[in-house]
Amino acid sequence: MSRCWLALVDGEPVGAFASASVMDAAGKPQGTLACWRRRAKPTRGALRCDERIIDRDGAEASISLVLAPPGIRLPFDDGAVQHARREVLAGIPFDAVSTLLRDDSHFEGSITVARSPRATEWLADDPFARIFPARLLHVGPGMLGSVDPPTGPTIERYGSANPWPWEHFEQPLADGRGRNARTARKTE
Amino acid sequence: MPPQVGDTLPDFELLDHAGNRRRLSGLIGGDPTVLQFFRGWWCPKEQAFFRRLVRLQAEAEVAYSRMISVSTDPPPVSAAFRAGLGARWTFLSDESRELQERLYLRETTDTLNDPYVPAVFVLDPELRIHSAYNGYWFWGRPTEQELAGDLRELTRRLRADWQAPTP
Repeated sequence: MSRCWLALVDGEPVGAFASASVMDAAGKPQGTLACWRRRAKPTRGALRCDERIIDRDGAEASISLVLAPPGIRLPFDDGAVQHARREVLAGIPFDAVSTLLRDDSHFEGSITVARSPRATEWLADDPFARIFPARLLHVGPGMLGSVDPPTGPTIERYGSANPWPWEHFEQPLADGRGRNARTARKTE
Repeated sequence: MPPQVGDTLPDFELLDHAGNRRRLSGLIGGDPTVLQFFRGWWCPKEQAFFRRLVRLQAEAEVAYSRMISVSTDPPPVSAAFRAGLGARWTFLSDESRELQERLYLRETTDTLNDPYVPAVFVLDPELRIHSAYNGYWFWGRPTEQELAGDLRELTRRLRADWQAPTP
């Protein structure tokens, strides 16, 4: 189960593992994007993400941050969410992507990270933005890394408590060995 | 001699369709994987076989099974072919043909394109070949049913909880 929580907060993110300032396209401050690695939810509005996207050495990046409006949730298995995952796999790879979850059964948002001009341009066509509203933001250094794109074509979560595209099960294989794909890449 | 059932493939590195350097073990992770070597986008037999793989994709996407396709095409060509097919798995480029030589998979009868001889392997997470298909003649290639059978057998072997826990 992912114990990596992500939230966009105003003010100091107390106890955060990593954080970075956030601006909109006009350069106006939009708060701080922060990550906590802990079991309990650190702050109101925090959502669990694929921990591989967090890198305290990560360079600044553009993101598409999709969040469900207050009071609205969608089952993770909803056809629209399934299709958005397919579209992510079919499209050009981003630097990193993670769905955002609060519990085991609902999709509550996503974060997509881009650095190259082409990928940044494509953020405006984020497939998850067809489900819930997206904000295009710029995140400072020290927060977000790069992760190898999923191999494909899997769109399912590896255990309902893990955000897609986390790519392995918690339990070991039948021969008793675990196998955790090391797919996080250091940013240049 | 080309790789055979029971052999372990080298943990090679190639560029994917987006130009990222990818290692086979990282691509496979802990899942059964279909690894396909194909001639190129221009081959009608490949176009027909890819239609089969795209149909398989609709089931593989929910079955914790991965797919990888390898050719000598450069990444931009692979990316365009992949997009046209509607494939949502990783395409790798062996433009230098070093892996092709290492695996003895050069199609010597095509001196114009110097492509891979078509082959499909179903691999376990240790890169061991569970099944192998020689696709030089089209009917040597696996059907969807054969691939599903291979993936079922491997999944049963790999997943400790194949038999669902019961009260």
